[in-house]
Amino acid sequence: MTPDLTCYGADIPALADLVGDFDLRSPIDTRAWYTREWEALGELLGFAQPLAAELAQRRNAGDWIRATGEAGMAAFAAWHRRERRAGMSDRQAITQASVIRHMVSSGRERGELWRVTVDPTLLDTGACYQDDSGGWLRAFYPDTAPGYFGDGWAGPPPQAESRCGWTTPLVLHLGTFPWVYSSRIDATGPALRWSSASAAPAVEAFRVMSLALQPEANLRQDARQVAAIYRHFRTHTAPLVSRLPVYRPGQAQAGRLYRHAGFLRTQGSLHVAGLDGPRGHLPATAYNHVIRRFAAFFAVRRATVRALTTWAPEMGRMVATSTDPCLRAQVEGVARAG
Amino acid sequence: MSRVWVTVGTVLGVAGVGGAALLYSRRASAASPPLPGPGPGQPSAPPANLPPLELAPLPKASDVKGDLVANWGDTPADLRPLFMYMEEVSRIPGSARVFATIAYGESRFVTTAQNGNTSGEQDERDSSRAAYKNNKDRNPPLKYGEQSAEFGSGGLFGLLAPYFLWTGVPEIGKKAPLLSAPPEIVFQPRAAAFGACVYMQRLLANYRVDDVPDIKVGWASPSLLGEKNYGGASYQSVRKHYLEKVAAVGIDLADASTIPSKLSAAAWPGVPAVFAALVGSLPKELS
Repeated sequence: MTPDLTCYGADIPALADLVGDFDLRSPIDTRAWYTREWEALGELLGFAQPLAAELAQRRNAGDWIRATGEAGMAAFAAWHRRERRAGMSDRQAITQASVIRHMVSSGRERGELWRVTVDPTLLDTGACYQDDSGGWLRAFYPDTAPGYFGDGWAGPPPQAESRCGWTTPLVLHLGTFPWVYSSRIDATGPALRWSSASAAPAVEAFRVMSLALQPEANLRQDARQVAAIYRHFRTHTAPLVSRLPVYRPGQAQAGRLYRHAGFLRTQGSLHVAGLDGPRGHLPATAYNHVIRRFAAFFAVRRATVRALTTWAPEMGRMVATSTDPCLRAQVEGVARAG
Repeated sequence: MSRVWVTVGTVLGVAGVGGAALLYSRRASAASPPLPGPGPGQPSAPPANLPPLELAPLPKASDVKGDLVANWGDTPADLRPLFMYMEEVSRIPGSARVFATIAYGESRFVTTAQNGNTSGEQDERDSSRAAYKNNKDRNPPLKYGEQSAEFGSGGLFGLLAPYFLWTGVPEIGKKAPLLSAPPEIVFQPRAAAFGACVYMQRLLANYRVDDVPDIKVGWASPSLLGEKNYGGASYQSVRKHYLEKVAAVGIDLADASTIPSKLSAAAWPGVPAVFAALVGSLPKELS
């Protein structure tokens, strides 16, 4: 039985279909799906080559979900080290790493790792770091303007006065890493620059993003949060995307952006192509990545719920205590269908 | 860039200099990212009686053997395999990142960049008109010669249309593969890559190229690599501007592990092989 994802919205099943359905109980199905999704991720972000090498080392692994996860982490970390992007100071990166650890810890308790929020003034670091002149600066961009993932953050204001000027919560969209901010979306992804000589918060944030592909971690995430952010993203991108012509093989004109199977396509670089709307510029590469992250989340959710009773009954106990009524209903529906 | 170079370049002639496809440098003044619909900044459309021009998609990481991680600066991840594929197909070791620096300078990586399609770009159209007028009698005819004359320059590598369409003439004469193609084919990244590979090989094989910046000097005008002009003010100016762009894109030309100090085209496989690997075959109307 196919679990009904429409509880999260009528458009969610079609969203999940963008990356294809698969059966976790089938090793062949699982291997093909996870290989394809990790390769797509590596290709888009640029770590396809180290990923291929890591996957080759694990080709005989029995647990392919775990193997691809480990290969992906190792490949991304190695690639990120070698890319040597213009990074940041150690002070900022170390502060970021500390803040992310805290936010992930509290987000995990709430089942909300896709978007994590915190009052920065309640953190030990205050989400601030000192520059060389001794001044205090915010460790992250204060992403408060209306954007593609939300309508901005007017409040509540921090409980205490911030020494580096925080007047709003700190909000990070780790589910769509490296596009972690709702506004100012560039072609590269701002979180790829989260690194210094001695700290790599980008790698930790990447790990959190990749958790959506792990069935158990996926189940722990409140899908309602993901669906709400997706709905916002779709509301602000659908009018822009609908203006694009549909791609027809062999008919494409250079320099034009097309819709193709739910994603954007151009005969050139997706990094320099993009959409422009009231919420700002949205590079095509960011659009494709974000849509794929949402789609993959719900595809894994659907496959996990479908297989739950026979593939991982222990997860059933976790679901029984979930605060998500959709999830409980899906699992009950699958159990009833036998 | 300098109008003097236009004269110098066209005096040299196409076949005479090994089919110089791009005789002087163009900045990507008209480089703009792909847009959803027609309008200002869109590249010119191909003639209406032609089939759509869509070559194969960009190569992927799995299509190349060379490294796509180290010393690429801000080169977009999805263009790196193309530049590496160009290096592997042309057998010019170390050229991938040099192609990336040239593409950054010429087009800011916009494959449909065109210089000559706005009112302020008269120079570019003058150049392509001159290129066509001065060379059409000593080269095989171009099916879209008049259009190429009015086109200016464009594509990833800022290629001047008439010379681009004559690419390969010195080597294979009337069998040069783009003689029947419209100038808009330069917007296809694989076609532009073909032109750039051929041009790089000719510079390396026929001119004094002491280091990587000399390649860019030759890209601006081969005449600047001649005995008379080598080391002169224009030569120095091109190098200076190129090195500024290299710094901006973040590629280290001194990194010997990825870019040899002197490139070599000794293993060049020939125009037909490079065209077959990069472009494949064109629709029959264009070939």
